[in-house]
Amino acid sequence: MVKILVIDDEKGIRLGTQRLLEEDGYLVETAENGEQGIRLGTSINFDIIIIDLKMPDYDGLEVLKEIKKAFPNTICFIATAYASYDTAIQSTRLGAFGYIPKPFTPEEFIYQIELGIKQRTLILDAENLKLEREANLLEIASEKSRLNTIIKSIHDGVFVINKSGELVYYNYAAIRYLNLADIKIEIGDSILYKLPLEIIAIIDKILNSDKILLKTYTSQIEILPNNELVIEAACTPVPNPDGSLAGVVIILSNITQFKKIELIKSQFVSMVAHELKTPLAAVQGFINIILDDSISINDEKRKDYLIRSNVRLESLTALVNDLLDISRMEIKTKQREIEDVDIKNIIINTLQLLEFELKKKDLFVDSSIQKKISNIKADYNEITRLFTNLLSNAIKYNKDKGSIFITVNEENNFICIKIKDTGIGLKQEERDKLFNEFYRAKNEKTRGISGTGLGLSIVKKIVESYHGKIEVESVFGYGTTFIIHLPINTN
Amino acid sequence: MPLIAIIDDDPDILDASSLVLKSKGFDVITALNPNDGFKIVVEKKPDLIILDVMMDEPDDGFFLAQKFRKEKIQTPILMYTSVSKTIGLDFDKSEMVPVDDFVEKPISPDELVDKVVTLLKKAEERK
Repeated sequence: MVKILVIDDEKGIRLGTQRLLEEDGYLVETAENGEQGIRLGTSINFDIIIIDLKMPDYDGLEVLKEIKKAFPNTICFIATAYASYDTAIQSTRLGAFGYIPKPFTPEEFIYQIELGIKQRTLILDAENLKLEREANLLEIASEKSRLNTIIKSIHDGVFVINKSGELVYYNYAAIRYLNLADIKIEIGDSILYKLPLEIIAIIDKILNSDKILLKTYTSQIEILPNNELVIEAACTPVPNPDGSLAGVVIILSNITQFKKIELIKSQFVSMVAHELKTPLAAVQGFINIILDDSISINDEKRKDYLIRSNVRLESLTALVNDLLDISRMEIKTKQREIEDVDIKNIIINTLQLLEFELKKKDLFVDSSIQKKISNIKADYNEITRLFTNLLSNAIKYNKDKGSIFITVNEENNFICIKIKDTGIGLKQEERDKLFNEFYRAKNEKTRGISGTGLGLSIVKKIVESYHGKIEVESVFGYGTTFIIHLPINTN
Repeated sequence: MPLIAIIDDDPDILDASSLVLKSKGFDVITALNPNDGFKIVVEKKPDLIILDVMMDEPDDGFFLAQKFRKEKIQTPILMYTSVSKTIGLDFDKSEMVPVDDFVEKPISPDELVDKVVTLLKKAEERK
């Protein structure tokens, strides 16, 4: 029922309009002065209010202002016998809908009131629609705030779904990560069936739960096959101000790189496990035989097995040391002891340490080192390790009475070191895998040479950590040359 | 006495395994790589093959097993592995991997003999 308030100090007008309006079925209140009018008009949400312009206590425009402040959607008319152009403008500016000149005929009056009611209905409908859209979160996308611009541009995908499963907000990254770029998507679309099943399952769970739990559910999803694109979707309920469920916000992060690292890590772990277990299995095999009374072996055989077990355990220890070196190096890039390092010195010292092995194979060493070689800034132990690994390879894979040629030169801002052996060399396919962890060239000529398969991968790690470069040249059967470039002004 | 072929690139494992089997009365032939392994199987026609999965390449043993089957060599195969889950290769007794049983190294002499006897018996029943 339409509620109307008439504010007028003239009793005749009050009674006359009240009767007129009540006959048409409206609910009517009256106020006999400005003060009463303000009190009623600001406490009850009237549909229509008619305000007399001239009252003893208040100016009608004053009353209008107060009422509009409390209820901006109330339709107000100013009624006056002293109509002037100025007051008309002023009252409109203050929010009056119309101007009723006194005296008026009942027809004129009712016509004005009906116009007002029509307007009031329009305003209320628009208001309701807006509230409804807000409740459905459909307004978010049209918000022109700076926050919106920010969310649109962030790297992670963001999209929001209302409780009816309609898309109410999304940014560019979301479309990219969901691989939906080729599909036309609009705000208000029912989007659920276009999403990955994993996300649908979570959204369903949130939308269909009785209680709204402000909890985030995550799922990792392979968007493109072969782990080309893997995302993590984090879905969180969005509450209304009253605590009821408004929708779900989904954040998509690209975790492809993490997945790749995870895979490399688990492959490394299983390779390490394999490398550790192989010598253990051999040793255990021998011990089992020695302990088994039902298997008879002579003393000579027993001793042979023990010696061979010992060799396997020694290689196991070397392997563990190499592994420790690798992990130490990975930590150490952050905590190195950087000092001026003289490469010439390190090579000479390393050759001295390997003297016994050199003599055993009767190898000839030819080293030509430029007189003036700059020091580099590096960790002494790491550079020593680098040359120990390379030189001991040059010995191990050399032929008896072979040679090792070492040259050290300064080229531009690099120190270039070449270590050439006259050993068994590498086949092309062996060269490609040479720096891989645990890779060891296996052919008829390498049989009997022990190693962990980590030496060159450690070398490569050290060289690269100093922004250097390592290359290998080789002819199978004739020898291998390692060429290392280390920058001089390394910090 | 049944003849058993052991193919493994680890000479220590090869020695220990063949000694165990010999001490139980089996005849044993060995090979250190897939090529020699294929050769001895074709030539000597053993009753059972013990095959290491990882030789030069992580899946050499697997490919050799497939090669045997392709060449219609139906000799039972016992596959040695040292890590059951290795890079990219998840083994189970599916048709993809044409072997009859797996053992994880290290294996005790009794266990090895048990597996061998069981597989030989099964092969006998199939005939």
